[in-house]
Amino acid sequence: MESEAAAGRAQDGAPQRHRSGLVLGIDTGGTYTDGVLLDYYSRRVLASHKSLTTRRDFAIGIESVIEGIHIQDPSAVKMVSISTTLATNAIAEGKGKRVALFLVGYDPELIASFKMENHFATPHYYYFAGGHDLYGREKAELDLQGILAQVGQLRGKVEAIAVSSYFSPLNPEHENRVYQAVSRISDLPVVLGHQLSTKLGSVERATTAALNASLLAVLQDFIIAVRRAMERRRIDAPLMVVRGDGTLMSDEFAARTPVETIHSGPAASAIGGRFLSELDEALVIDVGGTTTDIALIEGGQVTVSEEGATVGGYNTAVSAANLLSIALGGDSHITLGREQVIAVGPERVMPLAQLAQQHPEVRKQLLTLRQRPRGHVTLDWLEYWYLLRGPGEAIDRWTAQEKALVEFLGDGPRPLPEILKHLKLLHAAQIGAQELLRQEIIGKAGLTPTDLMHVEGKYSQWDAEAAAAALDVFAGSQYQDPASLCQLIWSQVNEMIVHAVVTFLSGKRFDLPRRRAGGQQLSGSVSPPAGAGAEDEDIGRWFFYNSLYSAHPHLETQIRLRQPIVGIGAAASVMLSEAARALYTDLILPEHYQVANALGAIAGSVMVVEELLVYPRLSDSGLEVLGYYVQASDQRQEFEEMDDALAQARALSEERALGGAIRSGADSPQVEVEVLSDGLDSFRVRAKAMGSPRLMD
Amino acid sequence: MELVNVGTQRACGLIREKIVTLELAPGAPINEQELAEELEMALAPVREALKLLAYDGLVVITPRHGLYVAEANLSDLEQVSEMRLALEALCARLAAQRATSDDLAVLEALRQEQAQRAAGIEKATAEATRGLFDLDHKFHQAVARAAQNRYLADTLERYYGLSLRLWYLALPHLGFLPSAVEEHLGLVDAIKSGDADRAEQIMRRHVGDFYDNVRGALPAEGE
Repeated sequence: MESEAAAGRAQDGAPQRHRSGLVLGIDTGGTYTDGVLLDYYSRRVLASHKSLTTRRDFAIGIESVIEGIHIQDPSAVKMVSISTTLATNAIAEGKGKRVALFLVGYDPELIASFKMENHFATPHYYYFAGGHDLYGREKAELDLQGILAQVGQLRGKVEAIAVSSYFSPLNPEHENRVYQAVSRISDLPVVLGHQLSTKLGSVERATTAALNASLLAVLQDFIIAVRRAMERRRIDAPLMVVRGDGTLMSDEFAARTPVETIHSGPAASAIGGRFLSELDEALVIDVGGTTTDIALIEGGQVTVSEEGATVGGYNTAVSAANLLSIALGGDSHITLGREQVIAVGPERVMPLAQLAQQHPEVRKQLLTLRQRPRGHVTLDWLEYWYLLRGPGEAIDRWTAQEKALVEFLGDGPRPLPEILKHLKLLHAAQIGAQELLRQEIIGKAGLTPTDLMHVEGKYSQWDAEAAAAALDVFAGSQYQDPASLCQLIWSQVNEMIVHAVVTFLSGKRFDLPRRRAGGQQLSGSVSPPAGAGAEDEDIGRWFFYNSLYSAHPHLETQIRLRQPIVGIGAAASVMLSEAARALYTDLILPEHYQVANALGAIAGSVMVVEELLVYPRLSDSGLEVLGYYVQASDQRQEFEEMDDALAQARALSEERALGGAIRSGADSPQVEVEVLSDGLDSFRVRAKAMGSPRLMD
Repeated sequence: MELVNVGTQRACGLIREKIVTLELAPGAPINEQELAEELEMALAPVREALKLLAYDGLVVITPRHGLYVAEANLSDLEQVSEMRLALEALCARLAAQRATSDDLAVLEALRQEQAQRAAGIEKATAEATRGLFDLDHKFHQAVARAAQNRYLADTLERYYGLSLRLWYLALPHLGFLPSAVEEHLGLVDAIKSGDADRAEQIMRRHVGDFYDNVRGALPAEGE
């Protein structure tokens, strides 16, 4: 779609700097795949490109981005880095591989009494005897025979195995033994809880292990696909993958710990925002097509959530950027819900302006629709369904209704009422097209904020007149004039964004009442929706709306954001300027802000964390401390004195983190060692090695 | 967590498979570039993989004539079998002396799996035989692990790949040997009861039978 200057190597004979290196950053978002080519040392953006994300096979979108960037000399590319929503989507949509989770030493009754079974992210979980106590002592003998028998029974039923043993970070012996034994009788990948998290939360660790196991093949296929795309474009360079906290890991690492890529997309945007704005304190808001993501930059770093990342309703032990994502974007579907309440999102559709551009008959239909008398047109006429791609071989497995629908859409997009009439149905819910939508065989189009931007002349990529016609129809059906309706919708969008900022930063929650389309008396400015203050006893909500609209005759309130907002994404300038005004702060839109997410994929640092545990060894009676253990994932040492144990833990974790970072491609990494107390004379010694990616010559 | 080069490892596995299953015939020249294109991989990991396979004796790298797949013939068979007979027997002896309860659990699980599978096979299709050989491989690996000698296990692993290729050469004339399942049963019992002499004896016979069968089925030298 857009492609700026093609890239070339600096040709001057006497460069001031010998170091030159092009790096390619790619972000596969929910709607778009963005790519950017950067001269790493001068930080100059040489080219960028956007293409549609192809969820059925991410590699297609990635290849078209690489193609769109027109890299003249592929050998000049020294690194490719990629952020992806693949893991997040696979979990949210339940598309990971089938996993058996072996819980060693877990108490089934305890798990059941807290109804924790649903937290494990797989229905195939099995309990076995074994595990350790909180001093790392064996609680019960490991039931290895039972485990091996279970593996035999599971043959062909699962694609990966996850193992979590009770208190395994303190003593991974049982997990390691299960690994040794299972991998000798089965070719399935085996994931161990203690290798993913040293935190002691047994349920989160099990969930993390199960999710990681379910994602192994998904991410491996993805990395192979990206590598293949690079190979076809003759790019021979190290491949990095962005973690959920915005740092980078090598592709080898990512293939083993795919669970760490959860939330890597939003984290990359935040890093990109910081990179472009060069601000050390800012709120980064990325307005995409599907979602708006908010993250905070403090002291030049993206803030990381203390609790583990949550995804698809599962709590994990994986570190991820502290961020809030709301289902609001430029392509959010604007609809009328029950009681005439306007909703923007959560569904993402193709803007009507775009559909009309591609299909002249849609434009014609919309212009005709505008001529019909008010109140005679339902809003269903503004929802179009269209065919995205050919049916392929899978057609045999479809229902008759699915086939009829695809055939009907074969001639071009159709509005919903025509589809219902053709299929002899009364309501859209009866169509049952979820599977076709998910596989991207058919798509939906409708009125979106992007259409409003076309009507208002803020955007001119597609058919503005068709968008205007659609808006007229929408407004007419509610006996409103289009300009007021627009204002109402923008107020709704603005409230959602400000609400997200306030709840994200304050950590306090309150609901946002939805506003009705009709019955608003508009006189120049928009007022709070009915039920948002006056008779309400909720002072928080009153404060929110009063600050937004200065509604009260006597009391003036304000919510002021101390940091500036850095806007990212194509729709950021339109959708965030009002929010910045409402929060009394500046909106900064750095150059190339549309592709900050892709830049973020290359602007991050390579990081490797090594965590060791130090805890006391108790006598059998539990009353006497006999010494201290230093526990690493693969070895344990014992010391008489706590200080010696801590010193050894520091040295060992530092050495390992440093070695890991260098192997992962960090350039002269710096190591920080932290000692955190876990109480009861137990310590977590964490070495974090970070460095810029090393560009190969 | 151990770091592996995904590309090299993948290339190595794919090329090894091609060589062992004779898709790349013994003695055939190898063109790195073509191989990389066929696998849709970069040249670097393919090159690395070929080096590893050269170490395993499946690929030969010569300074003048480039790369080719290692030959496989009767004299190879004799040499590999001598080596494996001695080492597998040693392995079984050590396993009987050193196996832990975890090792025994693994051997028992593998033996049961093998018995079930062998019983379930009605026709000796290539697929089914392949599955049984895969299990046989795991069984030998498990015995090697039980011997608690990493170097011995590594060495045997290399020779197993060479053996498997010889078996593929003989495949048109040979199926999986059903007696192998019973031999494994006896071997597990011997290891369990710590009877080193008997374990060694069974293993020697087991491996010896394999080579006798392959030898009988292989085309004569110099055809």
